[in-house]
Amino acid sequence: MMIFIGASYDELGLSPEEIQTQMGRWFAWGDKMKEQGILRGGAALYAKGRRISGPDRIESDGPFVESKELIGGYYTAAADSFEEAAKIAQDYPDYHLGGTVEIREVVKFDR
Amino acid sequence: MVDHLFRHQYGKLVAILSKIFGLAHLELIEDAIQDTFLQASLKWRQAQPDNPQAWLTQAAKNRAIDLMRQINAQKQRHEKTVHGAATLEINEYFLDHEVQDSQLRMLFVACHPAFSREEQIAFALKAISGFSMKEIAVALLQKEETIKKRLARARKKIQELDITLDYPAPGEINDRLSAVQQIIYLIFNEGFHSTKLNQLIDKDLCGEALRLCQLLLVKEQFRSGNLYALFGLLCFHASRLDSKIVDGKIVDLKHQDRSTWHFPLIVLGNDALNKAMRYSDQSIYHLEAAIAAEHIKAIKFENTNWQQIIDYYNEMFELMPSDSIRLSRAITYLQMERLADAKKELDTIDAAAMSQRSYLLHGTYAEYYAKNGEPTQALAAIDKAISTCTNSLEREYLEEKKAGMTSPD
Repeated sequence: MMIFIGASYDELGLSPEEIQTQMGRWFAWGDKMKEQGILRGGAALYAKGRRISGPDRIESDGPFVESKELIGGYYTAAADSFEEAAKIAQDYPDYHLGGTVEIREVVKFDR
Repeated sequence: MVDHLFRHQYGKLVAILSKIFGLAHLELIEDAIQDTFLQASLKWRQAQPDNPQAWLTQAAKNRAIDLMRQINAQKQRHEKTVHGAATLEINEYFLDHEVQDSQLRMLFVACHPAFSREEQIAFALKAISGFSMKEIAVALLQKEETIKKRLARARKKIQELDITLDYPAPGEINDRLSAVQQIIYLIFNEGFHSTKLNQLIDKDLCGEALRLCQLLLVKEQFRSGNLYALFGLLCFHASRLDSKIVDGKIVDLKHQDRSTWHFPLIVLGNDALNKAMRYSDQSIYHLEAAIAAEHIKAIKFENTNWQQIIDYYNEMFELMPSDSIRLSRAITYLQMERLADAKKELDTIDAAAMSQRSYLLHGTYAEYYAKNGEPTQALAAIDKAISTCTNSLEREYLEEKKAGMTSPD
């Protein structure tokens, strides 16, 4: 799983032109993974959220972290190793905007 | 997806919503439109819709209905809007000819006499062309903060003077139309004459100027000889955009590969100039376009009809005397080897008044001295040009010129 961390486009103040350019890059990446048959799933997340924590189940509204640490979404893709996954993640479009990709292996549950 | 779809869509949607809700809500409207693009950037992450434009339009319509609630709430009016009817009405505003009309109105508002020139340009680029403040700042070589202030001032004036999204009164329309043309001309020049490292934004500015000009030409009542002449001029200049800077270096008119000039734009320019002839009005744009056409007509630099160009410059000077025409005339004299005339012309120009562009004057002096066999003065002049030039690409160009000059023994 590739988890995308970084400020939202809203926060970054991207122009319509830049938003379109970034989107084009997301499409290109998604299409590439689909063509290779490695894309398994994914989602984009809104910045707004709610948290429940602790034994008292205290509920609070975000933001919970600094905007640059915000999780914006994830993709799951098939890869045999972290090295291979890191290669796939090279196409993530937001590095130049300060974005980060965290790669985590998804646990396969026993049936 | 169509190039610049978002940017152009932004301008359209801002115009439509401003027509529905009034310019007083401009800030709210701009934020709402921006938000529909942000939504799209999330919702389309895995696949784009079949018709992105339709998606954006629908999203904007939905936003319009939300906004109506929001604005009504602001007004403390608690009467319920009849949503069925409101939706129908909103659809009307999204019809093509209505959109065009709203954008034209916005263009006229941008050139409102209450705004300064700087505010007009910033406002037009933001509200009509969908540039972000950062992009405007880069395009105009200003600080983002400066642009932010200009836009805020313009919005404040809209509120204070109660400026509405309407065409000016019949008695004012001609003045306003000429202001609109000037703004288009200035936006184009910002892109064409500047040599930023970021060439992309320059091309965008030129493209926007062309687009705004076309927007005006759609309406018969705004067509005139000088509008067609302006459009022709912009087309001719734009045809050379890709040939001006090659591999990160400035290529001057003499050395440009003329086969790379963009032919379709030249055809479009020619067509516009022919149309301009059908009107009786005359303007500085006609003459500038005629000069651009002379350059384009010449198959090689050596074939340029300099005498014809001098005649046009003289006519221009009659209409609107300026140091920049003097300088252009001096440069033309140099091409004609009329050195004494060139020197005479150069000596009438006040270097201090040219401020940031004074390096052009020094550079031309250098060329004069070089041609006139005075290498010491030529070197001194080119050094002065280099030291007063702030743009790195231009400076490199001058340095290269200097390297090619004969040194005094």
